[in-house]
Amino acid sequence: MQQTLEDFFKVVRSAGIDVSVADSIETSKTVELVGYSSKDTLKNALLLSLAKTVDEKEALNECFEQFFSFDAFQENNGVAGKEAGDGENDELSDEQQPASDPKDPEYTGDLELAKMLLDKDKAALAQSMKKAARESGMTDIWFFTQKGIYTQKIMDKMGARELNKEIAAFGKGDCPTEKALAGKLRGAQKYLFEEVRNFVEQQLSMFGKTASQTIHEEFLKNTRLSNIEKRDFETMNKIVRQMAKRLSSLHSKKRKRKNRGQLDFRKTLRNNVAYDGIMFNIFWKMKVVDKPRILALCDVSGSVSSYSRFLLLFLYSLSDVLDRIDTCVFTNTLIEVNDIFDELPVQQAVEKIVYEIGMGGSDYGNTLLDLKDDYMDKIDNKTTVIILGDARNNKLDPQTEVMQLLYQRAKRVIWLNPETKSFWGIGDSEMLRYKPYCNMVKECNTINHLEVMVDTILKISAQAA
Amino acid sequence: MKDLYEDTFQSVEEIQQKFEDHSYICNTQIATCAYIAYNLQKPVMVEGPAGVGKTELAKTTAEILGVPLVRLQCYEGLDESKALYEWKYGKQLLYTQLLKDKLSDVIGDAVGLRQSMTKLQGHEDLFFSEGFLEPRPLYRALQEEHGCVLLIDEIDKSDHEFEAFLLEILSEFQVSIPELGTLGAKIKPLVFLTSNNTREMSDALKRRCLHLHIDFPDEKLERRILNTRVPELSENLRKEVVSFVQQVRELDIKKVPSISETIDWAKTLLLLHTEHLESDIVRETLNVILKFEEDIEAVNEQVTSFIKKAKPNTE
Repeated sequence: MQQTLEDFFKVVRSAGIDVSVADSIETSKTVELVGYSSKDTLKNALLLSLAKTVDEKEALNECFEQFFSFDAFQENNGVAGKEAGDGENDELSDEQQPASDPKDPEYTGDLELAKMLLDKDKAALAQSMKKAARESGMTDIWFFTQKGIYTQKIMDKMGARELNKEIAAFGKGDCPTEKALAGKLRGAQKYLFEEVRNFVEQQLSMFGKTASQTIHEEFLKNTRLSNIEKRDFETMNKIVRQMAKRLSSLHSKKRKRKNRGQLDFRKTLRNNVAYDGIMFNIFWKMKVVDKPRILALCDVSGSVSSYSRFLLLFLYSLSDVLDRIDTCVFTNTLIEVNDIFDELPVQQAVEKIVYEIGMGGSDYGNTLLDLKDDYMDKIDNKTTVIILGDARNNKLDPQTEVMQLLYQRAKRVIWLNPETKSFWGIGDSEMLRYKPYCNMVKECNTINHLEVMVDTILKISAQAA
Repeated sequence: MKDLYEDTFQSVEEIQQKFEDHSYICNTQIATCAYIAYNLQKPVMVEGPAGVGKTELAKTTAEILGVPLVRLQCYEGLDESKALYEWKYGKQLLYTQLLKDKLSDVIGDAVGLRQSMTKLQGHEDLFFSEGFLEPRPLYRALQEEHGCVLLIDEIDKSDHEFEAFLLEILSEFQVSIPELGTLGAKIKPLVFLTSNNTREMSDALKRRCLHLHIDFPDEKLERRILNTRVPELSENLRKEVVSFVQQVRELDIKKVPSISETIDWAKTLLLLHTEHLESDIVRETLNVILKFEEDIEAVNEQVTSFIKKAKPNTE
């Protein structure tokens, strides 16, 4: 039973739930307590001790249903085991019965597998298959291409090779009973193969599910954001959420910092009046670390809109660790989009913005003038300004003096450019002229770049305070 | 705990029945959780929206076991001195003042500073003994002679430091007090931690606990709960009230009504001698189940259609 549980943990892990060794020990104890007699109780117990969030509970529930409902040879060999033994099934006999032979030929060999097949001993077959699967390391299956080899391995372990020889031997002779037996065994062999293959497929869907997913996700993380196809957006959103969650848990703990060494005299005195002014409880001055305030300016013109989409998605998933985010998008004029984000969930808001506003060629100069007129008073020494764009200004006036003003007012100006460094300043790119007025200019075209960038912002803001 | 109340929690079904006897209707998952927690002596982390009976679960468990409930309400800034113990500084000071005169008796005929010091040191620990200790909830829970149910309420409101501090108590059921040494539990208490999920708890804490998520009950369960809590309510009205509340929960509103609010509403309707839900009376009493002006407005628009759905049998 312990082995079954361990296999189950493997499935659970592959579904993306972390099960530590300690977890598995605790869970084994729990399962020992509640026993296997009731499926519901077992499920509840596993849900209680393995899953730590609601999402995990759902995933675990799915795993449980999949894992424990497996029935090869139309036989219930789930953990409950209460229905074992009532599996008389016609399918098997139909398939393996050669029509020409009315009477049952007696099998006198001593091959276990052949006996089991002819006796239709499904419980024994399933058990033998499970054993073979365990021996051949079934749970390590990763890819669909491995299906064949695993099926073969299991068949071999169960004794399919010997069965083959036996069949060949029977088929050679002239004795009609032997021939009939060979035919019957051949049918049974086919049946066995199908069952094993089904079993392998089912195992693959459990154990190999995330392996290929992980590889796909790694690939997506390093792909240029503009090359990501629409069908992968859902996965990307998931990745972004995961990254944001990691970052926010990493940075959410630094809100207050004790400034040991500086006595908060007022507070100390007030608290120690009761003790005759003798300082039993001492209070130190605290420093509150400001959450970063962000003004994001995103170019949503055709060439960079897909980058903006993910930056916005990222920023708004981080609302826990950010004080406030103001977002403006632009192509040639600056448009504030805070209201769209207030109304709609982040994902939909981003879609809406990109589709409704993202038209026309970009004009950075005009945008900066807009910024100067409408937003300068909102920018103070606590604001981090993030500009995302390729700085391709279509040969218009770049208005660098506004950039300079911005640089002087804001806490930090960060420019994210989706283009590779070597293209900066070539053609109509004004990147090199804007660069002196930025605290940081980064090439940013994959989701990994984005993560590193956001991480840096949060780190700097914690240090600076 | 387990040894003392050996025959209290024998099986999941029995627990469910016992909870029901104490007017706490629960599903099998909650009962299973209580069963495991009790038998393996593991803490339970209960999560879920406000008002689904997280605190009530701990209270009822204490009632069934017949042990006291020790409650620790968490808030930002809660620290050891509020949760575990504190020295009674005032008393210590007072005693030193009072006993000043006795000092000469203690020192007696000792000659010189060194000798006096040695004599005094023999009495040193007097002022840091249990007599001067102010026990706080966690300390009390460990000292309870017959065990207890310890409820750590709204753990998500506490600081990270406090969460880390809890780890020792939850896994070993012991605490270290520098002046007195390590203090173990007399009887291991049954621990419930509740959380509204305002922040993510650390993995270390989660790992030590069973994780129970209580959600809003389905219609059938809610009817049963209402039946036990407000038995005077007529069968028909009960059905209507529950169906109405369930529909309100489907809406996208700021704060969905919880079970406790359903119960309050039922009591209100009972007080007003209502026989059936009518749109007028519903509109007037909406503020019992909804706590935001915007929510009330949103529901107001749909009152008639909700009532219609709530009683398909009439007309």
